[in-house]
Amino acid sequence: MVQAVAPAMIDDATIERSPGYWSTVWRRFRRDPVAMIALGVIVLLILIAILAPYIAPHDPFRGATLRRLRPPGTPGYLLGTDELGRDMLSRLIYGARLSLFMGVTPVFLALFIGSAIGVTAGYVGGIVNTLLMRTIDIIFAFPSVLLAIALSGAMGAGIVNGLISLTIVFIPPIARIAESVTTSVRSLDYVEAARASGAGALSIVRKHVLGNVLGPIFVYAMSLIAVSMILASGLSFLGLGVRPPEPEWGLMLNTLRTALYTQPMLCALPGIMIFITSISFNLLTDGLRSAMDIKA
Amino acid sequence: MLTYIAKRVIYTLPIMLGVAIVCFLLVHIAPGDPLVSVLPPDASEQLRQQMMALYGFDRPYAEQFLKWLGRALGGDLGTSIRTNRPVVAEVGKAVSNTLMLAALATVIGFVLGSLFGFVAGSFRDTWIDKVASAISVTGVSVPHYWLGMVLVIIFSAQLGWLPPTGAGPGGSDNWVWDWAHIRHMILPAVTMSVIPMGIIARTVRALVAEILSQEFIAGLKAKGMSAFGIFRHVVKNAAPTALAVMGIQLGYLLGGSILIETVFSWPGTGLLLNDAIFQRDLPLLQGTILVLACFFVVLNLIVDVVQTAIDPRIARS
Amino acid sequence: MASDTVMTRAPAAAQATGSEPVRPLLEAADLVKHFPIKSGLLGRSNAVVRAVDGVTFSLYPGETLGIVGESGCGKSTTARVLMNLIKPDSGNVLLNGRAPGTPELSLKAFRSQVQMVFQDSYASLNPRLTVEDSIAYGPTVHGVSGTDAVRRARRLLDRVGLDPRRFAGRYPHELSGGQRQRVNIARALALEPKVIILDEAVSALDKSVEAQVLNLLLDLKEEIGLTYIFISHDLEVVRFIANRVMVMYLGRVAEIGPTDALYTGGRHPYTTALLGSMLSMDPDERTMEAPLAGDPPNPIDPPSGCRFHTRCSFAESVCSAKTPALTVSGTGHFTACHMVDPGSGHSKAAA
Repeated sequence: MVQAVAPAMIDDATIERSPGYWSTVWRRFRRDPVAMIALGVIVLLILIAILAPYIAPHDPFRGATLRRLRPPGTPGYLLGTDELGRDMLSRLIYGARLSLFMGVTPVFLALFIGSAIGVTAGYVGGIVNTLLMRTIDIIFAFPSVLLAIALSGAMGAGIVNGLISLTIVFIPPIARIAESVTTSVRSLDYVEAARASGAGALSIVRKHVLGNVLGPIFVYAMSLIAVSMILASGLSFLGLGVRPPEPEWGLMLNTLRTALYTQPMLCALPGIMIFITSISFNLLTDGLRSAMDIKA
Repeated sequence: MLTYIAKRVIYTLPIMLGVAIVCFLLVHIAPGDPLVSVLPPDASEQLRQQMMALYGFDRPYAEQFLKWLGRALGGDLGTSIRTNRPVVAEVGKAVSNTLMLAALATVIGFVLGSLFGFVAGSFRDTWIDKVASAISVTGVSVPHYWLGMVLVIIFSAQLGWLPPTGAGPGGSDNWVWDWAHIRHMILPAVTMSVIPMGIIARTVRALVAEILSQEFIAGLKAKGMSAFGIFRHVVKNAAPTALAVMGIQLGYLLGGSILIETVFSWPGTGLLLNDAIFQRDLPLLQGTILVLACFFVVLNLIVDVVQTAIDPRIARS
Repeated sequence: MASDTVMTRAPAAAQATGSEPVRPLLEAADLVKHFPIKSGLLGRSNAVVRAVDGVTFSLYPGETLGIVGESGCGKSTTARVLMNLIKPDSGNVLLNGRAPGTPELSLKAFRSQVQMVFQDSYASLNPRLTVEDSIAYGPTVHGVSGTDAVRRARRLLDRVGLDPRRFAGRYPHELSGGQRQRVNIARALALEPKVIILDEAVSALDKSVEAQVLNLLLDLKEEIGLTYIFISHDLEVVRFIANRVMVMYLGRVAEIGPTDALYTGGRHPYTTALLGSMLSMDPDERTMEAPLAGDPPNPIDPPSGCRFHTRCSFAESVCSAKTPALTVSGTGHFTACHMVDPGSGHSKAAA
């Protein structure tokens, strides 16, 4: 045995440290141009949402009957005006706020609740697992769009009702993933070893289970944001989510349907925003997934 | 195998019961008075009580549920508040319209998706793969209700080739397999096919890439097997999973048709739901959702069983 | 089953140190663990795997007890039951005469005194924790402060032959199998245990690395005064490291005794058959017994009586009718075979 060092004296600075898992993931992610562009677009959209009052050229709520449905390129109204004469560009910019909020929030709520359910079911196992997961199965037995619409339809339109419905829709898939990842991690030797060292369940879950299951669960949840964006806007499109006159892309798409024949370009604009957001989240998730696929 | 099927069917029963409970509860999470759409706003309290008793809303939940469930099992889903016709009749016609549309969309999605996925998986990490993958990622990212509008703009408003709405000339109610009707189906079906196309393309790409990277393929190549022989091998190995995904997607389309049917005014379950929601026709809402959810559960069951019949390894996992 | 009075007698090696009989450190009394097999329409369990089916033995301070047997004989399950990772269906584990999970000895306190090293060096380390964090985790659970635990971890790394400056901040996947197993040993040592259960701990290593780790284990034992339970299917390694050896067959103890006595004069036909499968350099040591043929029977439905009778060339009717008890067959040497038990009715039994 080498006794060259007096171990108690080792200075932290002299310890060679390997980059941790997440910094390795980030390094790999950075090398993926598509994923980086997608990340850039999402950051940009978030900035637009935050800075809307400063960058929007007009008041998104103020209309004028005299200048309704002007085509894109109208002087002073870069992207035209909507069916009430409100500036399209300003409404699209302000629309980022509610649209992103309505698309992203349910997934994060569901991530929180679904992981709690799934990790509990997976770690505790037995009857607790059966009860929790069979209940989840029932919600999962509904096609997602149908369930979201049925719930919002029954509860009525509104932001909160929309958020609740979408959250309920996304809990089961996240809980299922969380349960299966946790079940597979639970039986690994390092969790056994942690139990063998006398640790309690909570300590083991915090230190050994969560660190290894949250990554895959998080990536899965990210992939749901793209779906959630489309669904949330879809609810508003049907008249179930956000209510007029709030600017929201799905709702704008709905109200502009009347102009389908007269101003088709105008009509297509909000959908392009939803599409850009959704595809960015999809590409970001793909990039993240392959960056996390570290063979070691 | 038989044990597995029996187990799977038995497992489905509590799920069905759960689904029924959720559908039943939908009416009761609805705010306000369930009679709001039938009663005149100035209805007397006495009339209200009478109506409550007539619809059974004054009984305890458990009793209401059991009665409702019993009738539903006997094929009676109540009466539509709006049209006064049996919910079953309303839903029945709509289901056949939606099923037709969803089946066509699934077939289109499956054919295109398999093609793109297969090409992408076979030429992995080349530009062909990138293009095919871009198409599939577009398919799952595009808001399909918006895509429907764009297609209407192009093919109806601008080119005038295809009708923008409805399921037949002059809003005719009865479907006939002739061109005058079929042309109404093309735009909604194509629009609807985009999501399954994207998902199936992704699945098939991953399957093909995985199969091609396996050692036995290298072995077959080394033994001098032709490209066609290997193609057959890949198809045989990828088909069960791809078909299963297709089955599930059909279920999602059936349940998720509301957005597209609204865009195209297609007289299916989606449009029916839309009416039920906005006219607060709760029995109709409840009945439609129950039927669609049951369809989905049964479809899942069939997919599982068929998949197990093709590949018995699955039953073990 | 063997009676406790027989088993609490100390082995010769331990007795030699003094005239007082040595108290066992760890005792296993009639451990039983059956695993239900899910099958049937509603997932009812209608069969069980008899993984451990009445195992009794004692572990004395300072010794190394080897446990050998074919795969599936219940070695690893025994280890996990001893560790209290699995609850036995019946039977007890006692540490210094006290049962873990009772007011006298909490499960946590028990686990600081008995530790385990697993076979799979990679799976037994959390991939998201650095080496020093993995080692330091146990002590923090037992109330040691974070900085002290990390300091202890670095000292232990040095002790198991890994330079802390190079290894403390690494992740498991960056280490070789031998290095990882040293980390696992350090992790087990971090709680300052009295007993370490080594479950196939060196089996996955290359031969040269295996020898280094075995030497490390011997050094540590001498220095710290550890007691080992060494589980392995490798008979040579067990002979090298163990003072006493326990042979298991289908969830039961076939024979237990001092290593030399067992390796040179095993009394159970299974022991001799198992050892017969070992390659010997010396022709005189080669056994003339029939080699062990076939796979062990299914533990779901084990043979009646002596479980080995289906593969034993000395089997007689008594063997399938009656379960043999562990019987004294030498100094500190016990064998569960009717041929050893006078009056069992076996024709070869000494009258």
